[in-house]
Amino acid sequence: MKYGPLIFFGIFLTLAASWCGLVLMPQIQIGRQGAVRIEETGEFYPAARSGVAQQGFEIYRANGCIYCHSQQVRMEGFGADILRNWGQRRTVARDYLNDKPVMLGTMRTGPDLANIGVRQTSAEWHATHLYNPRIPSKGSIMPPFPFLFEKRKIGSHPSADALKLSGEFAPEPGYEIVPKPEGKALVQYLLSLKANTPLPEAK
Amino acid sequence: MIIIWIIFVSSVVVLPATALLALRWTARHGGFDDLQKTALSIFDEEEPVGRMTDRFPASTANEKKPRS
Amino acid sequence: MNASSPSILRALSPADTEDESQSRALLAEVDASCRWPVMLLFSFSLVWLLIGTVFALVASWKMHAPDFLGGISWLTFGRVRPAHLNAMVYGFASQAGVGVTLWLMCRLCRTPLICGWMAALAGVFWNLGVAIGIAGILAGHSTGMEWLEFPPYATPILFAAFALIAIWGIITFRYRREPHLYISQFYLLGALLWFPWLYSMTQVLLVMDPVRGVVQAAVNWWFAHNVLGLWLTPIGLAAIYYFIPKVIGRPVHSYYLSLLGFWSLALFYNWNGMHHLVGGPLPAWLITVSIVASVMMTIPVLTVGLNHHLTMWGNFHRLKDSPVLRFMVFGGMSYTVASLHGVLLALRSVSEVTHFTHSTIAHAHIGMYAFFAMVMFGSIYYIVPRLIQVEWPSARLIRLHFWAAALGILLYVVPLAFGGVMQGLAMNNPDVPFLDPVKHSVVTLTLPYLKTRSLSGILLGIGHLAFAVSFIWILIRWMNAGRRPKTSTADPSV
Repeated sequence: MKYGPLIFFGIFLTLAASWCGLVLMPQIQIGRQGAVRIEETGEFYPAARSGVAQQGFEIYRANGCIYCHSQQVRMEGFGADILRNWGQRRTVARDYLNDKPVMLGTMRTGPDLANIGVRQTSAEWHATHLYNPRIPSKGSIMPPFPFLFEKRKIGSHPSADALKLSGEFAPEPGYEIVPKPEGKALVQYLLSLKANTPLPEAK
Repeated sequence: MIIIWIIFVSSVVVLPATALLALRWTARHGGFDDLQKTALSIFDEEEPVGRMTDRFPASTANEKKPRS
Repeated sequence: MNASSPSILRALSPADTEDESQSRALLAEVDASCRWPVMLLFSFSLVWLLIGTVFALVASWKMHAPDFLGGISWLTFGRVRPAHLNAMVYGFASQAGVGVTLWLMCRLCRTPLICGWMAALAGVFWNLGVAIGIAGILAGHSTGMEWLEFPPYATPILFAAFALIAIWGIITFRYRREPHLYISQFYLLGALLWFPWLYSMTQVLLVMDPVRGVVQAAVNWWFAHNVLGLWLTPIGLAAIYYFIPKVIGRPVHSYYLSLLGFWSLALFYNWNGMHHLVGGPLPAWLITVSIVASVMMTIPVLTVGLNHHLTMWGNFHRLKDSPVLRFMVFGGMSYTVASLHGVLLALRSVSEVTHFTHSTIAHAHIGMYAFFAMVMFGSIYYIVPRLIQVEWPSARLIRLHFWAAALGILLYVVPLAFGGVMQGLAMNNPDVPFLDPVKHSVVTLTLPYLKTRSLSGILLGIGHLAFAVSFIWILIRWMNAGRRPKTSTADPSV
């Protein structure tokens, strides 16, 4: 019985110690970071995401994109992230200030997306890729997201954002595939993913 | 920033010191006197040392004998 | 007292002495008092095991056949994969763990279950929370944080369950009748206290009043790694420390080593979390601290492994007689393998290759399945007959379960761990394209290993079905036994 309190104390102390070390100390060190003003452009970095892109962020989160895609560029010489053109510099803590939650990801079944908005600037490509990845990327194992799109009858003329599909992927004549608002939002989010603003701490 | 070092150093000193104190207290109060007896505490007259307490069920089993 | 008798219950023949009948009466009282809460928890954990297995098979299949069920939003890989993880961790593993904890605590404290209503209520909340949480994930309400995907409307229900069990544990410990403190009680007390503290702290820092930026990642992985290290691992080790000696009838080799193992685990394990973020956008000292702590884990892991091995020394032949022992020894050895593999993966030079690859997933399954799930299976096989006084119906089903699970998990982890290394090496070579349908590419080289994983999933599923059939069959027998008129207890054939 007399050992009970001692064990309790030991159990508490060991957890409290790691909490101090792994949570409290980083919070003290970088938890109060704010946006920084870039000399050359006068803009603040990181800039707030547009409303539509923020909605896309939520779609990314809801559909579990993190389970196959990371959003962090490792430093030069550690892995081949920069050599693969996944970023011009490594990503640092400041890049993620506006993210809630921070979706760093831990798997690269698919490529890293920290700078996908720099690598792939075509909204049309992103929309087609999300509808069925195997259209622009043969052999891809990424899941299709047809539920972010809808099939509708073509009106007087095709919509501006109707997907240009052919062969087995095209809908029947008279119909077009158009991204739903969720689909458009996700595309805008992907286009917003850029982490190449030069920062002094990333040298 | 200096506070990080204060927390770090005090935990590097305080944590091991506390652990050593706890060890000393336990040793003083006889916590380590008979460890083997503690290892034997899971055995008793019903399930003594030396007897296996698990078997595959019998293949012809329809055993439902309650404990007496 | 026939030592060669074929069943567990036949070995417990009528009392020869006064003392024997007294201690039998106490153990019987303890077992009987645990019956309803523990059987409830085990039954529900089995349900979640089966649901989680279905999610697993769907997710695994989608990885090499991505258009499989492709149009259904609630089954998209990014939702079904976290549904699998959460169903298995919180639905199956944690509930089986709590069931084992309840029974083990009562047995070790030599006190019948007190405040059983707390345990039962916790079980209700637990399943409600998990069910609502899984539905939320499939509906697209995931929080997006690994191991914490349950939406905020499910988590308070779960927290209530965790808190109830922790309070129950403290009460039972306070009123224990056995003066000695067995090593398993240390681990169980640790688990019962660490988990609600972890969970509540994490919910505050990530959901209620979120910290800003990458500190979230630090909190996230402090939590996720500690679910493994301070909740599930201690329960698994507590079970192995009790069942191996109990089954073979021989005490733990060195009690001193077991105490060393516990306190070094308590000290080092919870500093490991940042090894999930090697190379990431966090202060380098933070990552280094976790790598050092990961290497220090060799102390408790080798201590525990040595202790278990020396306890078993000279008794390995008993593996052919005891199903529980098979699961425990497999689990115990897997604990050592999983942990040493983890130490390796944490090193910067290894992480440079294996981070972000399927090796991580293989590692997670060595720990969660080859160690924890197998230990839970063995524990359930030991505990259930003692609770309901009915024997398992079929040795053949138990053998099928063991072999399907053992071979299945080996087929899972060995190819996938290897494939992950190949994937990582290719990813670090900028001359290898990430995706190319014709040439050698990072994505296409992983396909064979993803397919062996699906195959292993079928094998594991067969094992789970065999387990489910045994469980349902013994439940039916229990219900029938209750309905038969009571006859003389001296007649063993009724």
